[in-house]
Amino acid sequence: MAPRLLIVEDDDHIRTSLRWAMEDEGYAVDEAASGEAACRAVDADPPDLMLVDLMLGRMDGFGVIRAVRRGHDLPIVVVSARSDTHDIVAALEAGADDYVTKPFQVKEITARLRALRRRVGAGTAPANDGQPAETVLDRDPAAPLVLREGRGTVHRGPRQLPLTVTEFRLLCELAASPGRVLSRQELLERVWQHGFFGDERIVDVHVRRLRTKVEQDPGAPRIVVTVRGLGYRLDPQ
Amino acid sequence: MRWALGPRGLRARIVLAFAVGTLLVSAVLVGTTFFTARSYLLDQRERSATRQAFTDANLLRSRLSTSGTAVGDALGELVPSGGSDVVVRSHGAWYSSGLDVGGKDVPAALRHLVGSGSAGTVRESSAVGPRMVVGIPLSSAHLEFYEISPLVELQMQLHTLAAVLGAGALAATAAGAGFGIWASRRVVHPLEQVASAATRIAAGELTTRLASTDDPDLLAIVGSFNTMVDALAARIDRDARFVGDVSHELRSPLTSLITSVEVMGARREELSSRGRQALTLVEGQLARFRTTLDDLLELARLDNARADETPPAVSLGALAREVLVASGRPADLLRSDDDGRTTVHGEKNRLERAVRNLLDNADRHAGGACCVRVERRDAAVLLIVDDAGPGVAPPDRERIFERFTRGPEAARGSLSGAGLGLAIVAETAARLGGAAWCAASPCGGARMTVSLPVARS
Repeated sequence: MAPRLLIVEDDDHIRTSLRWAMEDEGYAVDEAASGEAACRAVDADPPDLMLVDLMLGRMDGFGVIRAVRRGHDLPIVVVSARSDTHDIVAALEAGADDYVTKPFQVKEITARLRALRRRVGAGTAPANDGQPAETVLDRDPAAPLVLREGRGTVHRGPRQLPLTVTEFRLLCELAASPGRVLSRQELLERVWQHGFFGDERIVDVHVRRLRTKVEQDPGAPRIVVTVRGLGYRLDPQ
Repeated sequence: MRWALGPRGLRARIVLAFAVGTLLVSAVLVGTTFFTARSYLLDQRERSATRQAFTDANLLRSRLSTSGTAVGDALGELVPSGGSDVVVRSHGAWYSSGLDVGGKDVPAALRHLVGSGSAGTVRESSAVGPRMVVGIPLSSAHLEFYEISPLVELQMQLHTLAAVLGAGALAATAAGAGFGIWASRRVVHPLEQVASAATRIAAGELTTRLASTDDPDLLAIVGSFNTMVDALAARIDRDARFVGDVSHELRSPLTSLITSVEVMGARREELSSRGRQALTLVEGQLARFRTTLDDLLELARLDNARADETPPAVSLGALAREVLVASGRPADLLRSDDDGRTTVHGEKNRLERAVRNLLDNADRHAGGACCVRVERRDAAVLLIVDDAGPGVAPPDRERIFERFTRGPEAARGSLSGAGLGLAIVAETAARLGGAAWCAASPCGGARMTVSLPVARS
């Protein structure tokens, strides 16, 4: 079945041409011309992926992302005419998974979406022997942190953590080689499939977001630690 | 004098003005004091000498009249005070109280005056120093009485006075100069504050303002300076916003254009052959439009960029290799030091644009780069792009890094850019604390070099 893509863009011409291009790429496209319409559409029937323009009318792209993130883990790619550092970091912090800047080429967007779709597929792959593999990341007896890669879930004690698919994928990559430092570049290639010129701030913001969910004290992280000048490392507790 | 004063600084001029002013005032004061004191002292001396002479003359006359003694004897008994000597002329003969004085010491003019029956005073200089001669006619005794008083002591006093006053004037001048230095510091201090504030503002600290002051003389300067900076900051802000607005206005239609043309490109087969040719042309022009817009926005960004935090570290060698591969050029064009030794601070996409611009420039003007090198040299990492083209004439080697400078006519055509590529290279390098320059290449063409400071580990 064709993946369902919601395009949130207030410029009619861009939205229409993007719709044609994405339909050519095999997506089932829905459109929203305002932030409010986008939120209604997601509430009514959540799509598989979202493309969100930052400059909308009354409710801007940041607001849409925050609203969607309250209940959904679907991949969101931000489309922005601004290449300003602060806007992009703010969008990522609001919960976006990746971004492209206008003017873009369609293949840039499809490459981003493909990388994000791939993660959804990998996250729901069934375990080999029917018994989902478990990785305990924190042996705190009161509230152990358990990653079940096959099921796509992370639990802190009895509570399931609301990780987005990208955060989940990032945690899986780090957990795959515990105790080893992964550079930002490596993580960017593995999780986002960006090349050499990818923006390493994407990794930093996602690590920050991941910590607020998996760490008991995000101010003093013990599980996902920064190795200055090299990258990040997962230390099982 | 004007030429000598011209190039001096404000401070030197203030010090000089104070010193010269004090010197003039003290010279006038000293001169007035000296001449007043001198005439007063001389006057006093003259009066006392005259009084003394009359006393002595009366004494002499009374002696001569009472006892009828000879003039020479009476003169011998006379003991004039204060080192004075008395000379008397009687019946054409000269008598004196001292051995070393005589009629020759009496000035002729005075002798003439006394001879005519009047008393008089003459001041004259002689071989033994200045002296005063008082002449009194004693007509009753048929004598001419002269008393000669030395003025050496008075002259010494006057010399001492002159020396003291001169020293005082010099001291006052020095004090004036010292005061001038202090005053010039006081005057220049607010100017220095303005200068340092202006320097900080030029460096991008647009929040810099001069501290408010109670000094009514400085109030206007501080006020107008701060108003100027406010206006400047507002202007820069407005420009930045304008660039943002223009970029949005241009990018949005360009985005829908590019996307629509891509949709058309996917249906290329449905078009007639003329339609396909037109589509190819549109695609090419659109790509060029996009490059130019990106270049313009990049320059606007460089203009408006403020001194932010240090950009991340990246290996220039690895980056150059990636640019070569990504642009479909052979990777073996690159000769690079170890990646770890060529680390610099800079955003990857900006450095990529700079490296790509250098390679595109070589393509455009020289048929492509013949060698790309990245090497560590002391505290800098050099990126060197050599080509075997016609090279750049020495007078043009700086100009080519300016905005909107395009190559020679021959190189223009479909490949020609807007003349922004090398300007972006130079400004990106400058922004990261480095530089870009052009020289002759051993390959025969131009050698473009970008130097960036090595990243702090």
